[in-house]
Amino acid sequence: METVDCRLPTCLMERRVFLKRLINFFFSILVLIAGSALVYIYPSKTKERKLHYVYLIDEDELPKRGVRKVEFKYKTEDIVMINRAYLVISDNGINAFSPVCTHLGCFVNWDNNKMEFICPCHGGKYNQKGEVTAGPP
Amino acid sequence: MGRFFDWIDSRFGVRKPHSRFLERKIPENLNYSYCLGGMAFTFFLILAFTGLLLSIYYVPSEKEAYRSIVMITNEVMLGWLIRSLHKWSATLFIIFIMLHTIRVFLSKAYRPPKELNWMVGVLAFVVVMASGFTGYLLPWDQKAYWATEVGTSMIQKVPFIGDYLVYAVRGGTEVNGATLIRFYSFHILYLPITISLLLWAHFHIVKRQGISKGL
Repeated sequence: METVDCRLPTCLMERRVFLKRLINFFFSILVLIAGSALVYIYPSKTKERKLHYVYLIDEDELPKRGVRKVEFKYKTEDIVMINRAYLVISDNGINAFSPVCTHLGCFVNWDNNKMEFICPCHGGKYNQKGEVTAGPP
Repeated sequence: MGRFFDWIDSRFGVRKPHSRFLERKIPENLNYSYCLGGMAFTFFLILAFTGLLLSIYYVPSEKEAYRSIVMITNEVMLGWLIRSLHKWSATLFIIFIMLHTIRVFLSKAYRPPKELNWMVGVLAFVVVMASGFTGYLLPWDQKAYWATEVGTSMIQKVPFIGDYLVYAVRGGTEVNGATLIRFYSFHILYLPITISLLLWAHFHIVKRQGISKGL
């Protein structure tokens, strides 16, 4: 490595020396990035997801049959989530459904006249069992 | 670093056969703006590298795409870094191509006999924009979906053949899973190959014709 005259307050350096050092610096950054690729490729362990139980509603308040929309809050490790669910009470017991349409993620509405879930975004339709009956999804 | 290459060179003799590549003459009185093209190329290399890494975890399916991106960002080690590098290099790549184009224009480096190089450069720019457009859809979130919807709808306005063009680009009447898959294929295979060919031509012409003297 070339020596540098550093007796002055502002260290004067030849341009060539400076550029060589600069390029060496960038090269070492590159090596770091390349090394990070190996870390990246190594598969990481997925974090164990804990099952959260959330209070929704008293069983007495539910109708004998039908669909009921409930809103609820729950707290995860970092944030408080507010969400909705549709409770379908039928011969199969009580089932809870996510309100998210499987097409592009809008919340679906329950139409009591037609007895089906309808998504307002693109007209996706689901029956009481949550199966798709019409539309995009 | 130099010492490392000295070690390799003393054993394999790498420098001498490449002397024409390593010791190019450039005119005097150039300034750092002549480096903009090379900077853009550096971003291209970073994009290629991070893109390869991202392809290990990304899934181009309608159902899995968004979740795979969330997994890359949150669960894969340094996934956030690789994804972030890719995203930012893409923007900076285009910015530096524009700056490079301005420099070439202001230094009049497009005049004969260099017109062909300018054309190759413009073509490469168009392909790079296409890469950006196809890559934008891949996260399959709301922003990606609607940007693609709007962008491909513009194609529909082409007279006479607009509807057929948009059907071909989307792989259907609207943006759907088929769009995602063909955009992914173009983004990682066809467009990078095209850019590589164009850039090879671009550099080759510069090597042959030399760098024009600064104004």
